[in-house]
Amino acid sequence: MSEHAGWPIAGTGAVAAIGRSPAEIFDSLCAGTSGLHPMRGFERSYYTGDRLYEIDDRGDAGDVPGRATAFLLEAIAQAVAEAGLDERLGDIPVLVGTGLRELRSVELWARDGVPFPAGELHFGTALRERFGATMTHTVSNACSASLYALSMGTDLLAAGAETVIVAGVDTVTESMVGIADRLQSVAPDTVRPFDLDRMGTILGEGASAVVLRRTEDPDRPGPGRVRGVAVNCDAHHTTAPHAGSIAAAIREAHRRAGAGPEDIDLVMLHGTGTHANDAAEARAIRAVFGPAPEKALMTAMKSMTGHTSGASGLHSLIVALRAMADGLVPPTLGLNRPIEEAAEFRIVRDAAAPADLALAQVNAFGFGGVNAVALVAGRR
Amino acid sequence: MSAVATGVGLAVPGASAATELTTGTAEGAAPVDPAARIGKKGLRHLDQATRLALCAARDALNAAGLMTGDARLTTAGGGAPTVAAELLVPAESVAVVVSSNLGNLDSVCEVATTIAADGGTRLLSPVYAPRLSSNVTASEIAIRFGLRGPNLMVCNGPTSGLDAVHWATVLLAGGRARHVLVVGAEPANDVVRRLTGHAHPFDGAAALVLESAAAAAERDAPVLAGLDGYVRTGSLAGCVTALGGVPRAWLAPRPAPADVLPGVPRHALEDRWGPASGALGVLQCAAAVGHFAAGGSGPVYAVAGTDADDAVAGLVLTAPAGAETGNGEGRA
Repeated sequence: MSEHAGWPIAGTGAVAAIGRSPAEIFDSLCAGTSGLHPMRGFERSYYTGDRLYEIDDRGDAGDVPGRATAFLLEAIAQAVAEAGLDERLGDIPVLVGTGLRELRSVELWARDGVPFPAGELHFGTALRERFGATMTHTVSNACSASLYALSMGTDLLAAGAETVIVAGVDTVTESMVGIADRLQSVAPDTVRPFDLDRMGTILGEGASAVVLRRTEDPDRPGPGRVRGVAVNCDAHHTTAPHAGSIAAAIREAHRRAGAGPEDIDLVMLHGTGTHANDAAEARAIRAVFGPAPEKALMTAMKSMTGHTSGASGLHSLIVALRAMADGLVPPTLGLNRPIEEAAEFRIVRDAAAPADLALAQVNAFGFGGVNAVALVAGRR
Repeated sequence: MSAVATGVGLAVPGASAATELTTGTAEGAAPVDPAARIGKKGLRHLDQATRLALCAARDALNAAGLMTGDARLTTAGGGAPTVAAELLVPAESVAVVVSSNLGNLDSVCEVATTIAADGGTRLLSPVYAPRLSSNVTASEIAIRFGLRGPNLMVCNGPTSGLDAVHWATVLLAGGRARHVLVVGAEPANDVVRRLTGHAHPFDGAAALVLESAAAAAERDAPVLAGLDGYVRTGSLAGCVTALGGVPRAWLAPRPAPADVLPGVPRHALEDRWGPASGALGVLQCAAAVGHFAAGGSGPVYAVAGTDADDAVAGLVLTAPAGAETGNGEGRA
């Protein structure tokens, strides 16, 4: 099978601050519901920016270890169920993209002496226990991790695998929040992607998963197809993204899918709300689509979920599938005055926009210059 | 999916060449001094695993003939620092796959405990910022050497090094890169000692350059070993069965029962170099290259992980074509 036809998606699963399933998350996004909330897991008085997009699962008990693992298992179980797979996964590959692994548990171990076995740093241990999975891989590729894992999954399908599960997960670490708090002169009040007054990003939590197939089960049509995934690296700077390299990844994703900018109906922007990301992402899109893309609608969901880091690429992809199925694009919150580079982009604002959509582009770029771009088609 | 190795680089206390990996020991050896190896400049903000990884990576790229120069940072006339190295193949054609489980743990713990002790973030040093994301080693390697292909950070537990080699072969098979730099690196520090319970963990890095046999032939690169037949299974017995046949030697995980591959010469590298976590698999492949360089015959199996872990991974390494087969290292 050529990659142009695409790899069938047989099931999806997702959890985030604004919902515990793809449907809940999509509905929250379309309703303009933000998951931003005063910190739940950390001591608020330590930080000038004291709000995060956490999942509310802890009650008042303070923080607990193992939350990333739990969210990952939840998202994978949803995707496996929707695909009609047996939960005993055996040697079906499970590829997990993550920025921060179980590092929050390591922090609790170091700070409070909470027991934490080194074997639970990677997710294979829990995946073996829960699903009997042995072909498991944890890839720690920062904020593009789940799309990087998606590229690896499509390569396994191309090499002959029948079924591959790809997932992403992250919870917030105190070290990452702390260093951001230390470096920011003013803490962002919220995530405002592509807005002139954007002040930076705020981390979120969540997990995302898809089941990919080599061939579609005719009795079980899935929500769409992965048409192609491109990955590269800036090799430029740790935190300053490189627009030229991002543009190269976008072009490569188009080439792999046999599509051009004129075919793209929807762009799920990486849109972290940092000065550097949004400017570089906008310049890269202009380089490929031109300054005023006529067709593609765009949206940046991190304005409601926060930056879900390793989970974010697949979060965007799953939302794109819902958007194409329902003909509805969720809005971007906090975007009042677009930056000049994106002034003529059709970024959906204020309210969800109805649209007829067939093909979406998903952007994910990470710390260290790791870029990934996926093209995904809806069910037709 | 298969590949050939065309370069090896080591930053291993007590071993300066791949041939020494099955004969030497870290005991009593001086630690690797990254500043002496690759220059002090540019290392200050990096964690120990990344420093070690840069040294091994530089040597592997040079050995494979993908790069010339010692890759030290120099500042000429007060301008931006430049890297004293020249890549001899297109930057987009070289992917980086790094394996490390414990690399940035000390930085994460240091920041988290400082916040708690001080009741805020005031005392945090910005120097830690880049180290808090686990992919710092893979991205720093890309930045130092200008490698713009896919960049993967594998943190997959005890099998992670062999898993990284597997993903390198997937990148090659999928046409995403023509050459892949694979690095395994782990640091020894108090956080690692406390978390793993190991008093003397591995404090080093090993690197390989992998490419297709055709790509190696095209640029007349000498082949050091072939790599093929990766498996990842639920048990040690299952792994050895899946690898099939009987090797001439095997690189064994440390607690491997004597009745696994009985009579086959085994090298438990962690007995020599300390528990190596995510670096082990890459170190094993480097040791197999050394085995072949010393006239040893193939195939050689590399096996990482035990029945106490989530899985056991294995890989088959073959002697370069034209090398002697059938004698070399005899049955012990």
